[in-house]
Amino acid sequence: MEETKYDFDVVRWFSIMAVVYLVVGTLVGTFIASQLAWPFLNFDIAELTFGRLRPLHTNAVIFAFGGCTLFATAFYSVQRTGSTSLWSPKMAWFTFWGWNLIIVAAVITLPLGITQSKEYAELEWPIDLAIAVVWLSFGLNFIMTVAKRKTSHIYVSNWFFMGMFVMITYLHVVNSLAIPVSLFKSYSIFSGVQDAMIQWWWGHNAVGFYLTAGFLGIMYYFVPKQANRPVFSYRLSVLHFWALMFGYVWLGAHHLQYTALPDWTGSIGAAVSLAMIIPSWGGAINGMMTLSGAWDKLREDYILRFMIMSLAFYAMSTFEGPVMSAKSVNALSHYTDWTVGHVHSGALGWVAMVSAGALYHMVEKLWGTKMYSATLVNVHFWTSTIGTVIYITAMWVSGIMQGLMWRDYDEFGTLTYTFAESVAAMHPYYAMRAIGGMIFWLGGAIMLYNVIMTIRQASAQRSSTAAAATA
Amino acid sequence: MSNLREYFQTNWAAMTLHDWIGMILTVGTFLAMVWLYTYVFNPKNKERLESQRNIPFDEKNTDSEKEK
Repeated sequence: MEETKYDFDVVRWFSIMAVVYLVVGTLVGTFIASQLAWPFLNFDIAELTFGRLRPLHTNAVIFAFGGCTLFATAFYSVQRTGSTSLWSPKMAWFTFWGWNLIIVAAVITLPLGITQSKEYAELEWPIDLAIAVVWLSFGLNFIMTVAKRKTSHIYVSNWFFMGMFVMITYLHVVNSLAIPVSLFKSYSIFSGVQDAMIQWWWGHNAVGFYLTAGFLGIMYYFVPKQANRPVFSYRLSVLHFWALMFGYVWLGAHHLQYTALPDWTGSIGAAVSLAMIIPSWGGAINGMMTLSGAWDKLREDYILRFMIMSLAFYAMSTFEGPVMSAKSVNALSHYTDWTVGHVHSGALGWVAMVSAGALYHMVEKLWGTKMYSATLVNVHFWTSTIGTVIYITAMWVSGIMQGLMWRDYDEFGTLTYTFAESVAAMHPYYAMRAIGGMIFWLGGAIMLYNVIMTIRQASAQRSSTAAAATA
Repeated sequence: MSNLREYFQTNWAAMTLHDWIGMILTVGTFLAMVWLYTYVFNPKNKERLESQRNIPFDEKNTDSEKEK
């Protein structure tokens, strides 16, 4: 039988860097969460203040960790579902080095305060151009690999990766349109409410197409593979894909309820957000029901546990988001920590946990061995789950309390609480959030140790096999 | 009925090019989604679509990670 040849070296390196960035990105997040609870941690050093490090945290976890995970899983699964090698391994290495250099540029520029001040798109214009080039190299390589596949049908995971690529290209280019005034400073070509609308059209769709569509591509390949069962319903996956692609682009305006934006745009954003519960839950149920008749696998397969738990968080956060977008709820939740809790239930519970599951699966396959310690995978699972739950519970309570304090009036129509009083009331929840983050970070550090030991174990096994063969 | 007519009344003459493009895209997307639901849930298409779910398990060397 002729065996298919794959290009996995670049996938290995993307996988390793993803785990490294998971640890680094969440460490920065835990540090800035601690700064909010204990402000002395700012140390009066500008480069270490919350305002400088917060974009570094978001860029590290979204683009460094998330990006490397997406590139690793996309390049891995597109080859295997198409029974073909990469169209251009050299271009894949260009993507690897280019993306990592961009991350280095972010690590240098963001603490120095060099920023466009656009959320999730802070990097200045020369880096934006580099992102466009490297991103296009990934997309071209992926699409051309799909084109040279040996199967007639394009598997659904590849549709999700391609949908992510097309939409993120479009969003990144439009949102980053700016007039440079120096090498490190530019101004958006949009202004006022149009700038806000473009910002949140990008902001929410970075969530929708990068952190959701891309990671659903991961789910549709890795959950069936780890469970060793085909996806529950392929028809549902087709609906999930197209409903997501057509629906998500409308949601951005729900970030701007009660602002200068026309009221009807916020209403559309909220209405389509609520409608998006249908495809989102369809996808989550599709992933979970893949285990139908084989739920016992969850007792022993800790990697599968990550994936199924991530789907539970996906279902929860895709219900919570639409509820928060409704104007009556948004009046309470907006500008509060509830939003931060919602984002992290998606980011930690869904994105990071499905990534961990996929990365563990790939490490075993790519290095041809079992994980060094299954117990440590289980410890990571529980630290991730418990850390996430502590984090989001703290933010729910803190956020709802904030919202209620801000809107409370006495019998004379005067605000009952000052803003400073609401900040003081949040302190215990900020401490609790920092502890939740630390627990989650600890899980990532355990994962990094386990991955390193697994790779060393695989190398030792190869050496002993080679020695036995020559003896 | 008059309330409904009032609610849905549109000043067509005031529609700009952007309004028309937006409306056509929105209605077109809605119709495409209706067609998609009909296609996906048509029992005639069930076997053809569901047969694709086995693709991840069809590759020639599922368990060995052979490389160039």
